[in-house]
Amino acid sequence: MAAKFDLNDDSVVVIIGSGAGGGTVANELAQRGVKSVILEAGKTLSLEDIENDEWAMFSKISWLDKRQSAGSWHGAVNHPGLPAWIVKGLGGSTVHWAGVSIRYQEHEFKMKTTSGGVAGANLLDWPITLDELKPWYDKAELKMGTTGDVTGMPHLPWSADFKVLAEGARRIGYSKITAGPMSINSQDRDGRPACQQIGFCMQGCKIGAKWSTLYTELPRAVETGNCEIRTNCMVLQVEHDKSGKVTGVVYADADGKKQRQKARVVCVAGNSIESPRLLLNSESSMFPNGLANSSGQVGRNYMTHMTAGVYGVMPGEVHMNRGTAVAGIVRDEAHYDDSRGFAGGYTLEKLALGLGFLSAFLVPGPTGWGREVSSGLENYKYMSGVWICGEDMPQEQNRIALHATEKDQYGLPVPVVHKTDHPNDTNMRNHAYAQMAKIYHSLGAKKIYNLPAYPASHNMGTNRMSAKPEDGVVNKWGQSHDIKNLFVSDGSQFTTSASPNPTLTIVALAIRQADYLATQMKKGAI
Amino acid sequence: MLYDLTIVKDHYREIAPISDFKVSRRSLLASTAFLALATATAVGPTGSWAAAGVSAEQRLALIRMARDIYPHDDFLPDEPYVEVVDSILKEAESNDDTRKLVMDGLSDLEARAQKIYGSSFAAIADPNKREGVLRSIELTGFFQKFKGGLLMGLYNNKSLYPKFGYDGSSWEQGGFMDSFDKIGWL
Repeated sequence: MAAKFDLNDDSVVVIIGSGAGGGTVANELAQRGVKSVILEAGKTLSLEDIENDEWAMFSKISWLDKRQSAGSWHGAVNHPGLPAWIVKGLGGSTVHWAGVSIRYQEHEFKMKTTSGGVAGANLLDWPITLDELKPWYDKAELKMGTTGDVTGMPHLPWSADFKVLAEGARRIGYSKITAGPMSINSQDRDGRPACQQIGFCMQGCKIGAKWSTLYTELPRAVETGNCEIRTNCMVLQVEHDKSGKVTGVVYADADGKKQRQKARVVCVAGNSIESPRLLLNSESSMFPNGLANSSGQVGRNYMTHMTAGVYGVMPGEVHMNRGTAVAGIVRDEAHYDDSRGFAGGYTLEKLALGLGFLSAFLVPGPTGWGREVSSGLENYKYMSGVWICGEDMPQEQNRIALHATEKDQYGLPVPVVHKTDHPNDTNMRNHAYAQMAKIYHSLGAKKIYNLPAYPASHNMGTNRMSAKPEDGVVNKWGQSHDIKNLFVSDGSQFTTSASPNPTLTIVALAIRQADYLATQMKKGAI
Repeated sequence: MLYDLTIVKDHYREIAPISDFKVSRRSLLASTAFLALATATAVGPTGSWAAAGVSAEQRLALIRMARDIYPHDDFLPDEPYVEVVDSILKEAESNDDTRKLVMDGLSDLEARAQKIYGSSFAAIADPNKREGVLRSIELTGFFQKFKGGLLMGLYNNKSLYPKFGYDGSSWEQGGFMDSFDKIGWL
């Protein structure tokens, strides 16, 4: 059944990346009879490869190609070679994601209008509204098996770890406390089993209860006979003709040999570092600043969410590692209220770390050692933890740039990832730390650790969507303003980060994009 | 070289075959007895560390440092610390860069201890004073080599998981369906 397309077949859509964006676009196109070739830089993965071991899986699935952290965020010192924590492998970062599936709020599509602008931030309203996206959110939730009203699947049961957060939140007057929406099956559904509370969601769900393109979209796309997946294939350049239309891509195959795959359309979905990097690396005499970059915004407005962690040593045992990693969300601070000292909102998401990761992140970096760390770890079973996820201000200088001299194993300039907090981010983080301190103190916490941001798993904004070509890279369909048959299908098209975890919105946009693309191709418009 | 996850990953690979060599029972010093023994010349039979050109006393200084990097007093015995130190010394046997990193780092550490406290590092009785000396070298490749090894050897060491109350892998047992929602004190 599996299709095999010729390198010279210029009727195919080439999709770069197999994660939430690429994997979804491929399957949606395949179901509509549109042929595609997925070029995935990473290796094939299967449930067999998944272990309940944090560092073993970190080594196995992380994107560990050369990258540099830059800017004033602590990671430039503490995580100099790992600015982002994402996957290089089939299924992309949907193997690693935790499953949180919150929709954007209406005002989060128009943060510039809502806030009236924030000094130093390159804010812009999205060219789409919540109303426009609603039907696509519905489709995304049905596809992913998101707990809640649309699927009718109840949220997951509350773990001990979530009960701790929920009770503390209740004590300080919070009420928006739910164990979802999560794209983790709470019942057997769609050929995948219900969650068994294994507790290693972010190392890849061993039983496939969590949605991932690895065992949903990708095999379904291949089954149609309309999609071919090539793993270990790193795209080096997108090529174009004299008219400025893209004609295909050059990639390094599994043996390191250069190949040229022709294409009718190219969809870039390599996550928010690789996608702009590829466009910048595809510069030509016609496009000296990189493809699709007449606005100069390719690689800019890099957002990771305002994030932080808080871990508290509770008066009794918690065993946070038992059960889902993140099924527990408090949304009382997710609304817009700038009297708090910042624009945008944030969520508190319970986050269990195993002993291995907690030891590395409790006090991260080269100075993270000594009794402060070791005494905390001795209390591992008493610990409960939270990840703070809030709106991140887009700033032009936060960007993916190409290193002037350093090259990676493919001979491409290494990406330099600049990230400096906006004062809005700092104010929001401090507000969240203070609220978490109240929550944990209300429970009699013996010690509280405030953790800075982890290397980012949410990466957004570097090919942003805009109504006007001069403000951004793609239009409201994710289609390049400059090049009609070039699309961006991942989170890099986000105009602003909003507060919700990005995957659900990436998938909703990808379904919508595939629908548009198939229609336009049928009409002969592309 | 600064600490980074990618470096940790390398250590993970380096120290994975810890069981390849045996740690002498006699070298597994109770931490309380440590300082007394640190001055003794004979500390167990000669191990692979000797081949790296490291004296018994130098090895003890490294073990003292290891215990100070992640102090667990009576909570953990010497054994896991010794395993990490010896694994690095084993690497130093065949790797000139590692040997130089360890030997130069150690003489720097001892020189600082002598300069500030007029004593060898391991003979400084006050743990806060030892921490102070170590803080002055914490950004060196020497220190980070041991820190990275210990992070894996102590906290990613399945034999120590129960000590910390961490359960590790669960899928083989069908997850935590029976216990994930249990909490007694809330």
